[in-house]
Amino acid sequence: MAEDLMFQEEIKQAVRQAYGAISTGGGESVARRLYTDQELAEVPAGAVRWALGVGNPVRYARLRPGEVVLDVGSGGGVDTILAATRVGPGGRAVGLDVLEEMCERGRRHAAQAGVDGWSEFLRGEMEDIPLPDESVDVVISNGVLNLSARKSRALAEIFRVLGPGGRICMADLTVEGELPPEVANDQSAWAG
Amino acid sequence: MAERVFAGKLERAGFADIWVGGHRPFGIDEAALYPLFTSEVIEVMRRTIPPDRQDHVATGVIVKAREPA
Repeated sequence: MAEDLMFQEEIKQAVRQAYGAISTGGGESVARRLYTDQELAEVPAGAVRWALGVGNPVRYARLRPGEVVLDVGSGGGVDTILAATRVGPGGRAVGLDVLEEMCERGRRHAAQAGVDGWSEFLRGEMEDIPLPDESVDVVISNGVLNLSARKSRALAEIFRVLGPGGRICMADLTVEGELPPEVANDQSAWAG
Repeated sequence: MAERVFAGKLERAGFADIWVGGHRPFGIDEAALYPLFTSEVIEVMRRTIPPDRQDHVATGVIVKAREPA
């Protein structure tokens, strides 16, 4: 048990250090694989530069005007901004990120996109979401759940903040079979 | 995390109508676009993962589910 907790803390620190150390995201080379030209035109260049996702959850989420959306692991804000555009000023888009510098980027990019009136960015962990019970209609995330050393806890928290009938739409990577131990044990691979 | 493990965790958390789709291969060349993967780990991946798996090391998926009403 103590070893498990130490391992969880080690993973958490490795992920925080990795994300805190980078000076840019995947940029256009990543963003153009995931988003259409029209979608990219809706977000500021800075948010595109900080794209670090692995899919396009907003495209699949069927967001409706007036809904409250939580983007778990919002990073530079590209998906939060796309979600805010779809729910409109009658709704709300909340970005959650463990790093304050990511939240600051998200706020700046949301203001540049003109959706800051109904967007907010909170610093916090997905395993302890700083929102009340049943306060969200839809949870999205993009390449984030895999970063948690406590995925079941994170999913329980997401369940808690969603209201009855609430939806999740998550993009992530799955791996079938084993990766070579040199890769599986590398801290950089955990963060990626 | 394997796809069936992901779906199982969602089910145990209480979610219903679990759907996994949008499957997309994720290879080493794509991983190299992300600054989170160091050049060292990319090199290790190229050296240790069999050539026929290098363009599909992982799979990008979209997972949807719903909390029961």
